[in-house]
Amino acid sequence: MIRAGLAATAVLLLGGCATSSLVLLPDDEGRQGSVAVLEVAGQPTGAVIASGNSRTALGDRTPVAKPLGGKGLKKQEAALLTGLPPPARSFLLYFEQGTVTLTPQSVAVLNALKAEIAVRSGPEVEVIGHTDTIGSGEDNDGLSMRRAGEVMNWLASQGLDRSIMSAVGRGERELKEPTADNVASAANRRAEVIVR
Amino acid sequence: MLRLPLGLGLIALLAAAPAEAEIARIKQSSGTASIERSSQRLKASPGLQLLAGDKLVTGKDGRISLSFIDNTRFAVGPNSRISVSQFQYDRTRQKGTFVTQVDRGSLAVVSGKIAKSGPDAMKVRTPNTLLGVRGTKFIVDVPK
Repeated sequence: MIRAGLAATAVLLLGGCATSSLVLLPDDEGRQGSVAVLEVAGQPTGAVIASGNSRTALGDRTPVAKPLGGKGLKKQEAALLTGLPPPARSFLLYFEQGTVTLTPQSVAVLNALKAEIAVRSGPEVEVIGHTDTIGSGEDNDGLSMRRAGEVMNWLASQGLDRSIMSAVGRGERELKEPTADNVASAANRRAEVIVR
Repeated sequence: MLRLPLGLGLIALLAAAPAEAEIARIKQSSGTASIERSSQRLKASPGLQLLAGDKLVTGKDGRISLSFIDNTRFAVGPNSRISVSQFQYDRTRQKGTFVTQVDRGSLAVVSGKIAKSGPDAMKVRTPNTLLGVRGTKFIVDVPK
């Protein structure tokens, strides 16, 4: 009897302090996603937690999402959200026909790009080069990579370490403005630079 | 002759690619915060590149924030032990799989392109539950 009582107390204590929880929030654009509970204790379940601004104790096969209500987030939860890195930011640079020369407007964007990288802690830069449909697909693969490389070279000339940068060329595969083959398009002659 | 520029471009591309498959970078850390990679223990300094399989470990005053190459963002709280047990991402197709295991501690997540790429392409495992992430922001807390 005493043993059974102790065991029951131990189970209660374990249950009391070891309950995992999920807080579900809307994303930065205000959209509400969901989280599915796929398995509990190795057994498949089909529950989906979809109510935003809610807290759910995990471990139950039929989880109940409770509204955060007036109390809102716990202090440590709020601190965790404050610690999230800033979202990735994307820049578009445009090129003159058939060249790796930036348009005059895009030269001005370079300084904003450099400033964005400078304010980030542990930055990473991904450059994706593109072309329009003038010329062969093979030539455009080369041109798109040289465009991406040109952006990396400029950033390196500004003192950025090449180990934080990577570049790819996608040729004429991902047109911003859909066109037939062999059509000049200023919108398609571009490089996208993603700063994380 | 026509092939030459493409060949040079490919060489330039290979040279620009990181030597190992980088999946994320540490953005900030404070207190006792480290990355465990097989038998190594690395200081979680800003700019450190993560590889699939790495463990994020913090002490009672420790915090780590990081961004993944699919734009997923993590903030790891104190007293945590969290593994990125699986991470595969095809940058061109923007598809992949991502499994994170929270053994203990707290983790805030803003999901990225992998979570959008398919149903339950991103999963989070706690000691008793397996979660499928469907594009959102959330916090998982696993007390000791």
